[in-house]
Amino acid sequence: MIRIEKERIDEFIRTLMETRAVYAPALDGKNTMFAPVEDPAGIDHNIFNTDKSPKEIFFPHSEVLFEYEGEEIKKVERDVRPIVVWGLRGCDARSLRLLDKVFGSAWQKPGNDMFEDPYWKEKYDDAIIFGTACNEPRSTCFCNWFGSGPHDDAGMDVKVVDTEEAFILDPVSEKGKKFIGSLKGWAEATKKDLATIKAVREKAEGLMGEAFGMEGIAEKMADLFFKPVWDDIGAKCVNCGACAFICSTCHCFDVQDEGKKGKKGKRIRIWDTCMFPLFTKEASGHNPRDMSKDRLRQRFMHKFSYFISNYDEHLCTGCGRCVSVCPVNLDIRDVVRAVMTSEA
Amino acid sequence: MSNTYIPIQMKVERIEIEDPDKALRTFDLVFVNEEDKKNFEYMPGQFCEWSLLGLGESPFGIASSPTETDFLRFTVSRTGSVTNEIHYLREGDTIGIRGPMGNWYPVEKFKGGNVVIIGGGFAFTTLRSLIVYMLEHREDYGDITVIYGARAPELFIYKDEISEWQKRDDIDIQLTIDNPADGWDGRTGFVPAVTKEIAPSTENTWVVVCGPPIMIKFTLPVLSELKFADDRIYTSLERRMKCGIGKCGRCNIGSKYICIDGPVFSLAELKKIPEAF
Ligand SMILES: Cc1cc2nc3c(=O)[nH]c(=O)nc-3n(C[C@H](O)[C@H](O)[C@H](O)COP(=O)(O)OP(=O)(O)OC[C@H]3O[C@@H](n4cnc5c(N)ncnc54)[C@H](O)[C@@H]3O)c2cc1C
Ligand code: SF4
Ligand code: SF4
Ligand code: FES
Repeated sequence: MIRIEKERIDEFIRTLMETRAVYAPALDGKNTMFAPVEDPAGIDHNIFNTDKSPKEIFFPHSEVLFEYEGEEIKKVERDVRPIVVWGLRGCDARSLRLLDKVFGSAWQKPGNDMFEDPYWKEKYDDAIIFGTACNEPRSTCFCNWFGSGPHDDAGMDVKVVDTEEAFILDPVSEKGKKFIGSLKGWAEATKKDLATIKAVREKAEGLMGEAFGMEGIAEKMADLFFKPVWDDIGAKCVNCGACAFICSTCHCFDVQDEGKKGKKGKRIRIWDTCMFPLFTKEASGHNPRDMSKDRLRQRFMHKFSYFISNYDEHLCTGCGRCVSVCPVNLDIRDVVRAVMTSEA
Repeated sequence: MSNTYIPIQMKVERIEIEDPDKALRTFDLVFVNEEDKKNFEYMPGQFCEWSLLGLGESPFGIASSPTETDFLRFTVSRTGSVTNEIHYLREGDTIGIRGPMGNWYPVEKFKGGNVVIIGGGFAFTTLRSLIVYMLEHREDYGDITVIYGARAPELFIYKDEISEWQKRDDIDIQLTIDNPADGWDGRTGFVPAVTKEIAPSTENTWVVVCGPPIMIKFTLPVLSELKFADDRIYTSLERRMKCGIGKCGRCNIGSKYICIDGPVFSLAELKKIPEAF
């Protein structure tokens, strides 16, 4: 564990910037988000969970897959420096790890790289994630529902704890250990630091609301598929899709061509969501998810039933963004409660 | 790392119009690069994404059989923007495809058994692939029965080839049209009713059903009535697709992705997915 006094943090970030593209929380208009760092002095280390999710760093809202001219295909050049993310919260570090199950690993057919997403892998595989432990969780946070907590380090390479005086860097992954081991000129964390970490951790955990029991939710949801509980929940939703776009774990996308046939253009992938009717509408006009509630159910089934069947994990980390953003106050925690208390 | 999003180049070698309305066209494609040809291994039931730069992508089942090594065949129905452009293609044009994608009909499992193939309309594409494949490996299979229905005689696809099959004694071809028509001396009636009439024996028999959703919906109960077990009946599903590799989420039903876990599923598997029908 190394110790970086607050006065020296810019110096530390600058060493990262020598060889890497560094992303950190920043204010963009009214919203906070992750942005490339140009000047370490501009980083606001007090920004909590960013309004926009950090999945954008690795899975941009709109990403060029390739460019074309006539029938010729050209690869796009990208900033090839490995990425460092500074200031990511625990829920988001876990989100990236969940997305890696979809994009990164060839889980469907192990050993078959046809199922690996090159655009994700070229960014995520070499990235180093510095995760900041949360000392003051918010009312919308519910990471503890998923067995996590404000000081959880899953998905991080280096865990960072802010002790007021200093940032204490604790390497947790192999990659993180190698990286921190290679650094020179930083002091080791002191006994006092360790005591402070323990104290802020306990305080933070105490601030979390009580975790709601979710055991068996995958089976429970499957049993409720045709039940009226979905009509009740769905009645409120206006299918705006805001929850999915803001979500750090939703990964659906569309592929579109910009630029007419025979001309210069690019093929891009762009975030999309199962909340929109066009997502599944077929050329014949038939739509397998015709009703608003069918689509709402799909989003929650995917998160709390299908993803569990495939990976034994929830596709939600309790970051609370969808709770903040929903225009009709449809709270994902209420959905979980309604499901868990309904009769199959 | 390979990049599955980048299409491989194909040349349109031959185009055949299948129906009087010119809404169905069959395309034989050949590989532009020898390397792509070598790497492209597929089985009956798989599909490709056709990739037209500037227009978009659409998935189509492969109608040729892996035993036909010189070309890939597809039959495309004109329904919307991409398929419309596909119909404007001319022989000699270059296009892109991605694939092969998805799983395939379990031809290994079928070995030593009888196979009943039930098709309707232009969804006969991958069934053609399956039939050609089994005829090439004829000694591996028992009786092969084909029940194929179309609205009218001129709407069957691959008519010449079907006439050739009718002349063979190692495959039983049963064609049916919805209503009697001039010059038609074959069967009339819908596929489910004709299947019931023919009543193939369930003894060591596998069934593959592929066609419009309505045909599948009414044929499956007939098969159950005839006492075919759910895990002996296979069908192929269609949903909107984009990536074809289980990432974009579009074809997700239950915990499955049709583009990678399907499109071929047994009825036993589908009964576990509430959204399948
Ligand atoms: C596994 C499978 C096998 C199939 N096999 C066959 C077959 O053998 N023969 C057959 O005829 N049909 C087959 N289909 C159906 C066929 O894929 C659809 O009919 C076809 O995609 C309709 O496309 P369209 O653009 O003409 O229709 P539209 O309704 O116009 O568009 C449908 C979709 O095409 C895409 N698209 C259109 N324009 C663009 C654009 N500018 N940029 C990017 N994307 C665009 C979009 O996804 C769009 O929503 C199969 C489908 C599946 C899933
Ligand atoms: S569903 Fe809501 S709480 Fe869960 S990860 Fe997505 S935005 Fe966060
Ligand atoms: S943000 Fe709220 S209203 Fe909008 S799609 Fe999500 S649940 Fe429905
Ligand atoms: S087509 Fe993208 S997940 Fe199946």
